[in-house]
Amino acid sequence: MTVGEAQRAAGTRAGALAAARRRRLRLDLGDWGVRIGSVLFVLAVWEFVAPRFNPLIIRPPTHIFRAFGELIATGELQEALGQSLREFSGGLVIALTLGILLGIASGRWRFVYNAIDPIVSALYSVPSVALVPLIAVAFGKGSLGDGPRIATVALFAIFPILINTQQGVRNVDRSLLEVARAFNTSERRLWTDLIIPSATPFILAGVRLGIGRGLIGMIVSEFLIGLVGLGYLIIVYENVFRIDRMFVPVIVVATMGIVLMGLVQWIEGRVAPWTRREQ
Amino acid sequence: MAVAERLVVERASKTFSGGELTVFADLDLAVRDQESVCVLGPSGCGKTTLLRAMHGLVGLDEGRIVVDGSVVVRPRSNVAMVFQHFGLMPWKSVTANVAYGLELAGVARQEIAERVTRYVELVGLKGFERSYPHTLSGGMQQRVGLARALALEPDILLMDEPFGSLDAQTREILQDELLSILQTTGVRGGRSPATMVFITHSIEEAIALGDRIVVLSARPARIRETISVDIPRPRTVASVIAHPRFVELRDRCWRLLRERTA
Repeated sequence: MTVGEAQRAAGTRAGALAAARRRRLRLDLGDWGVRIGSVLFVLAVWEFVAPRFNPLIIRPPTHIFRAFGELIATGELQEALGQSLREFSGGLVIALTLGILLGIASGRWRFVYNAIDPIVSALYSVPSVALVPLIAVAFGKGSLGDGPRIATVALFAIFPILINTQQGVRNVDRSLLEVARAFNTSERRLWTDLIIPSATPFILAGVRLGIGRGLIGMIVSEFLIGLVGLGYLIIVYENVFRIDRMFVPVIVVATMGIVLMGLVQWIEGRVAPWTRREQ
Repeated sequence: MAVAERLVVERASKTFSGGELTVFADLDLAVRDQESVCVLGPSGCGKTTLLRAMHGLVGLDEGRIVVDGSVVVRPRSNVAMVFQHFGLMPWKSVTANVAYGLELAGVARQEIAERVTRYVELVGLKGFERSYPHTLSGGMQQRVGLARALALEPDILLMDEPFGSLDAQTREILQDELLSILQTTGVRGGRSPATMVFITHSIEEAIALGDRIVVLSARPARIRETISVDIPRPRTVASVIAHPRFVELRDRCWRLLRERTA
């Protein structure tokens, strides 16, 4: 084998390996089959088992599906979803903005880190639910607007985003920092070439966690502050023992979680393809 | 003009851990224009620290390093470095990685595009311009690292065990290509080859690439001996190994590395 042949062979081998790696990472038809199959299996078991129990406790999926149609026909579901989405998106935007900004600042500057770290640790350790009444009080008892609920969503969602961003900024590869110095990088280029891109996968993982917590915050705030939106539907139909209708908003929230987290994961694959290996 | 000294190390000393660990002491070394000097020493003897000091990435405790008549305090744009760990940005394509140093050096956009094309082709990566590092083999990644340094068209190349983490076969291929790049076209596409300081712990590599070999002792590193490699250029790795002087040079380096005390 000549040197050239060896080189070409090595190149082809590397190419094939890379392609195989990509194949393993992308969800192919088989993956989707398993995912959908497992959901269908759970639904089938549920459908079969539910009628053996008290309908005040559990109802089969077909009944829930019918209730779904009813709630759309009356317009209740659309109205509640619109309300909840307003709160959720408002809260998430605040959590993203504050979380990423504070995360970057505290990851980069010791002073900011020292200033906010104890507070962040404390607030993150306390169950956020316990702070919701405080938010309600802070906004004033008579407040009927979305303000306190948006604040609750933000409170629930912000910490994983902030902490992950901070970790991402602090975890910049030291050897790459030296490379940047060796090529005489400027402070601005240090951010755009190194710090932000290397923190991006961390930030997106934090956003994914934040979305899950934000959805919980949304429902909790609707339970505790004012009774509106999807949370209101859950409470009201639970109180009248319409378990089939109660499950409709629950499933809507679950679907929001699946869709939003999937979206972030998709974005992650697009903007940070080098991390796909780890997923 | 070939005798002018480009890079001079004067009585350089460096300690770590508040002076407890002396990395190297009292080193003197002069690298002439267009000369390839290989610094050979046992692992952990401070070769890499010396190279980083040559680029102003770490300061010295005593002595100084002078490039083109002025003391090195920070990286200069006419000096480029290639790293053992490749040091590629995983979020940048091959093109963007090669362009990186040029952008920071303030080269005009049109010129950057031309040079990237030229040097990507020179290191044999044509067709991989849009690939990302994680899809490339180690050897190809280091080709990107090499192209990034060469694209700056530097006067001095600082090589920090650039092929140390590659397998033997890939290493030999890249040694040959580096020799051919420096010998035939020159780093500046027709102009004179660069001055090079090449850190290695491989004796064969030092003989193949160096005009002179500086053999360092174990820590604290001092210069044991400087050996002239009187094997004519143009060279290839195969022609160097086949040369009658090779065995003698290798034995001499080997004995110097084995001796425990100065």
